[in-house]
Amino acid sequence: MIEFRNVVVVYPNGFKALKGINLHIHEGEFVAIIGPSGAGKSTLIRTINGLVRITEGDLIVEGKHVQKLKDRELRLLRRKIGMIFQSFNLVKRMSVLRNVLVGRLGYVPTLKSLLNLFPKEDVEFALSNLEKVGIRDKAYVRADQLSGGQQQRVAIARALTQQPDIMLADEPVASLDPPTAKVVMDYLKKFNEELKITTLVNLHDVDLAKTYAGRIVGIRAGEIVFDGRPEELTRDILIRIYGKWQES
Amino acid sequence: MNGWNKTRWLIITLLVVAVYWWAVMGIDFNLHRIIAGLPKGKVILERIFVKSLRYIGGPFFWEMVMEMLKTLAMAYFGTFIASVLTVPFAFLAAVNFSPYARFFKMFLNFIRTFPEILLAIIFVSMVGPGPFAGVLAIGFHSVGMLGKLYAEAVENIDMKPIEAITAAGGNFWQKLIFGVLPQVFPYFASYSIYRFEIAVRSASTVGLVGAGGIGVPLLLKVQGRNWEQVGVIIIVIIITVVIVDYLSAYIRKRIV
Ligand SMILES: Nc1ncnc2c1ncn2[C@@H]1O[C@H](COP(=O)(O)OP(=O)(O)OP(=O)(O)O)[C@@H](O)[C@H]1O
Ligand SMILES: [Mg+2]
Repeated sequence: MIEFRNVVVVYPNGFKALKGINLHIHEGEFVAIIGPSGAGKSTLIRTINGLVRITEGDLIVEGKHVQKLKDRELRLLRRKIGMIFQSFNLVKRMSVLRNVLVGRLGYVPTLKSLLNLFPKEDVEFALSNLEKVGIRDKAYVRADQLSGGQQQRVAIARALTQQPDIMLADEPVASLDPPTAKVVMDYLKKFNEELKITTLVNLHDVDLAKTYAGRIVGIRAGEIVFDGRPEELTRDILIRIYGKWQES
Repeated sequence: MNGWNKTRWLIITLLVVAVYWWAVMGIDFNLHRIIAGLPKGKVILERIFVKSLRYIGGPFFWEMVMEMLKTLAMAYFGTFIASVLTVPFAFLAAVNFSPYARFFKMFLNFIRTFPEILLAIIFVSMVGPGPFAGVLAIGFHSVGMLGKLYAEAVENIDMKPIEAITAAGGNFWQKLIFGVLPQVFPYFASYSIYRFEIAVRSASTVGLVGAGGIGVPLLLKVQGRNWEQVGVIIIVIIITVVIVDYLSAYIRKRIV
C-alpha cells in the first residue's frame, strides 16, 4: 500500500532530512510516527502525498511511484489521500461546508468547482461527513467561528469527503487540550476501523501513540530506529528514540 | 542638561530659525500685503460661504448636483477599472507569488509618482477634454496605489489552507479561488472603496485642466470671479465628500 525503499530527502539548502527510509505500511493499519523535534516526522509523512519530493530511493503509494508522477497524476493520487494538520488549515473566511467541499475539488471539473456548482450528491456527502464528526449544525457558520477541536473535526470531514484510502495526520492534536485531543483521535481511530482508511499519524505524545496505534515507528535524525507494536516500546527504546535526556 | 546638550539645542534652534528666514524671504513674504488684502478676502469668503446659501436649492444648485453625480461616476469608473487591472499586478508584486516582485513593486511606485493632475493634462491632450480623460487619469494613478496595497494583502496570505487544498488534489485555479480569493477579497474591496474616497476628491479637481467633472464649472466660475456660484460648487463638493467618507468608512468596517 505504502512502501518506502531507501528513501532519502535532501532539502534545497542541503539538509538531509531522511537518510534511507525503508518502511512498508499495509492496508488498514493505524501507524503512529514518533520522534524528537526535527527528526523528520513531517518530512516523512509529506513525501507520501508528494508535498515533499524525495531525492533518492523509491516511494510507492497505491502502486504508483510518487516521485515519477506528473502534476495531473499526482493530483489524482492526492485526492485519495486525506491530510489533516496541526493548525487545521481551514480557509477561515469560508463557511464550514465550503471548506468541507474542498475535499471534492479533485473530483469535480475545475470550471464547475470554481463556479461553486458542486453536484447535489457532493454537497449531501459533505454534509453527511459533518454529521459523522458531530457538527452538521455548523455547516453554514464561518470556519473561524469554531473552536479548535471543532475546526479539526471540519478538517477530518474535509478529508473524509475525499473518500480517501489513506489518511495522513501531522500532529493533529498538538494544539488541542487533552479531552478535545481524545475526541479527535477517537474519530481518526473510528474511521480507520469502519472505513478501512489506512492512517498515519505523527505524534509527539508517546502515550497517545501507545493508546491508539497498532504500530509505532520511531524516527530519529532522519532514520527509523524503532518499528513495532506499542507493547514493544520499552524505556530503553524510548531513550534510543529521544536521547538520554528525555523522560518517558 | 549638560553643556554639550545645551550647545546642541542652540545649534538646532539657530538652524530652524535660519530655515524659516530663508523660506520667508524666498516667497516674498509681506505682512502689509496680507493686511491690505484682508477686507477683500473677507468679501470673497462671505460671497463663497454666506451669500451662496441663497442659491442652494435653485436651478444652478441642482445643475451642480448633477455635475457632482457625473463626477462620482468618473471616480467610480476610474477606481473600478483600476481595481480590476490591479489584480494581476498585485500577484506579480507579491514576494510570495512572484520571483519578480521587486521589479513590479518599483513599477507600481513609478506609476504612483505621477500626480493625477499631471496625468489628467497628459490624457486631455491624448484623448481630448472631457470625463474620459479624467477616468483614465484616476484609473492610471489608482493602479499604482492599489497595486501596492493589494500586493501587501497577498503577501499576508496564510499559505497553510492553500497547502491543504493542494493536499486534497486541488489544482492552481482551485487554489486561487478557494484558498487565495477568500483571504484577499475583503482587503481588495476595502482598499478599493478607500481609493474611491480619494478618487472623488481628485475627480472634483481634474476638471480644472479640462478632464471633466465638477472642476470644469468650478474653473469657469472662478475665472469669472462669480464667488457665489463658486461657493455653491464648493458646498456641493464638501457635502458629497463628507457623505462618501462616511459611507466608505461604514462599509469598510463591515467587510474586513
Ligand atoms: N523546507 C525545508 N528546508 C530545509 N530544511 C527543512 C525544511 N523543512 C524541514 N527541514 C529540516 O528538516 C528536519 C526535519 O524536519 P521535520 O519538519 O520533518 O521534523 P519533525 O520531526 O516533523 O519535527 P517537529 O516535531 O518539530 O515537527 C529539521 O531539521 C528541519 O529543520
Ligand atoms: Mg513536524
